[in-house]
Amino acid sequence: MIVGKQKSIAEIREIVSPYKKLLVLGCGTCVKTCFAGGEDEVATLSSALRLLFKKDGRSIYIEELTVERQCEDEFIREAAVAISKNTAVLSLACGAGVQAIARRFANVPVLPGVNTTFIGVLEKQGLFTEECLGCGDCQLAVFGGVCPVSRCAKKLQNGPCGGSRIGKCEINPETDCAWQQIITRLTALGQLDNLRKYNPPKDWRTSHAGGPRKLVREDHVI
Amino acid sequence: MKPESPSNLQRVLSDGKFAVTAECGPPRGADPEIIRRKGELLRGHVDAVNVTDNQTAIVRMSSIAACVHLSAMGLEPVMQMVTRDRNRIALQSDILGASSLGIRNILCLSGDHQTFGSQPDAMNVFDIDSVNLVHMVKVMKADGKDMSGFDLISPPRMFIGAAANPFADPFEYRVIRLAKKIDAGADFIQTQCVYNLERFREWMRLAREEGLTEKVHILAGITPLKSEGMAKYMAKKVAGMDVPESVIKRMGGVPKGKAAEEGIGICLETIAALREIKGVHGIHMMAIEWEETVGRIVEAAGLSPRPQAA
Amino acid sequence: MIKKIQPQITLFYCINAFNDRASLSVLSGVAFELKTVKMACSSMVKDVFLLRAFEAGADAVAVFVCPEGQCRYVEGNIRAKKRVNFIKKLLDEIGLEGRRLSLHNAESGDTENIGKIFRQILSDINDMGPNPAK
Repeated sequence: MIVGKQKSIAEIREIVSPYKKLLVLGCGTCVKTCFAGGEDEVATLSSALRLLFKKDGRSIYIEELTVERQCEDEFIREAAVAISKNTAVLSLACGAGVQAIARRFANVPVLPGVNTTFIGVLEKQGLFTEECLGCGDCQLAVFGGVCPVSRCAKKLQNGPCGGSRIGKCEINPETDCAWQQIITRLTALGQLDNLRKYNPPKDWRTSHAGGPRKLVREDHVI
Repeated sequence: MKPESPSNLQRVLSDGKFAVTAECGPPRGADPEIIRRKGELLRGHVDAVNVTDNQTAIVRMSSIAACVHLSAMGLEPVMQMVTRDRNRIALQSDILGASSLGIRNILCLSGDHQTFGSQPDAMNVFDIDSVNLVHMVKVMKADGKDMSGFDLISPPRMFIGAAANPFADPFEYRVIRLAKKIDAGADFIQTQCVYNLERFREWMRLAREEGLTEKVHILAGITPLKSEGMAKYMAKKVAGMDVPESVIKRMGGVPKGKAAEEGIGICLETIAALREIKGVHGIHMMAIEWEETVGRIVEAAGLSPRPQAA
Repeated sequence: MIKKIQPQITLFYCINAFNDRASLSVLSGVAFELKTVKMACSSMVKDVFLLRAFEAGADAVAVFVCPEGQCRYVEGNIRAKKRVNFIKKLLDEIGLEGRRLSLHNAESGDTENIGKIFRQILSDINDMGPNPAK
């Protein structure tokens, strides 16, 4: 899923301050799961903003709404009426959701309330970890199901670097060394020989290096 | 130096002589005098001077420029190049440029992560890794082609080095990785500083078993310790460093004023032990901001004078 | 004529910890307005409920939970504590002072302790002044 983190109250206050009528718009998919922008977060943030503005002696009207997904027209439509009644939208979706809303409503300022952080997993309750960089050329078969592109700080294709100690990454002792994990996995799978092979430089064209990406499925285009 | 002539370091090693190189960190400023002063301290004591490339991710005078200052003094530089700051286009371009300036040795590294440096807010590159870099230089040199397969009008001449850390984990994989670097085209290997001789000997034994010492020249890293504090700092704070408790105790066991002498003593014992290990073809001295000690250690170790360039 | 405004306190309490409103009579004679919300477990206290209590005019909010290790639902009181800490931080960020929100272990009948808790809360309100977002 896409993992995000709500912006600080101070930053949100700054970006919403020019507006008198605000729709706080949640997204019920990824950001809900990581407690950044689902229904509960919409309610809490809205309440906090009301308290904040009231304390400052300013009035703000806040409407709350959460749709299933802000990245799909079908669900965006459900927010159309609420959007038309307000002067700005504070979207708690990921960056894709914010832009999808902005694209559909040309005359309404759409503001981000969440910092989109990474594609990751819920490793355990309350802990999310980055697992994928969306490089567009998955080589997990070679690396025993552990990704060196997203999980090695140096994106090493022929790691580990000299800073791997006791299974931890040199840049953060809280972070597992991806290469240690690759080696452990491949050893368990009896495929350690994978690593004797030289991995050539990665072709980054399929990643963001090649510019914004597009996927066309002709079979679905009407 | 004629383009086809090998580097002095390459000649010393291929003649089977025990090589000595030393590290030289460029200044955080534009004054070439600092490099020249360091070069002067090393003159006559080493076969080549190894110039770091923004080490610890702190902005310094470029490695290429500092190498050129050393060349102009008649010293032979080893240019370090890290993949942290440049993509493959810039790396290849700088290798061609360095070769055109007479630089004949390169040490290929991934580089310290920028979060350790003075500008942790920087974006890193890591387009390719250090093994890829070794391979890239090898192909440029041996096949005369850049990475796109384009025939270079005049290929770069480089004696290719890579780093190895016998003390990092996972230990059993360290020799596999060394083999990969050799297969990719490394001519010589510089190791992390050796304080733990036992582990180093074991790593060398595994390297010999795999036949790697026949294919590459291994230079063992040496850093003289100045104080107990430095030993502790290296043990705890420097990534990938292995300073055994016994060494820290020894540094702490002498009066403060004698600690530097003790450090040099440890160095000399280590060098003597390294010369006995089959497959170790030289040492690389990393006397961080203590270049004046290199000459003394080299002489005391009986490694002076250095072989003269033919 | 200026009407003397009484401090308002909202109390969220877990019925397993405390279900004895009579214990609150210890506070008779102290001038304040008390609203109470009872819950089957303190873990039912969601972030937004705490904030809405402030929106409704509370000068302070207290949450009564079971002692750690004694939650009937194992970890409900720990969840409540974490949420309270989260909202305390948020209140600080808003400028409402996290101190307005507090969590306590309280048992029915322990009037001495309950009296102490409320006196502390009232003294804190006195220090901080009324909820500035009223």
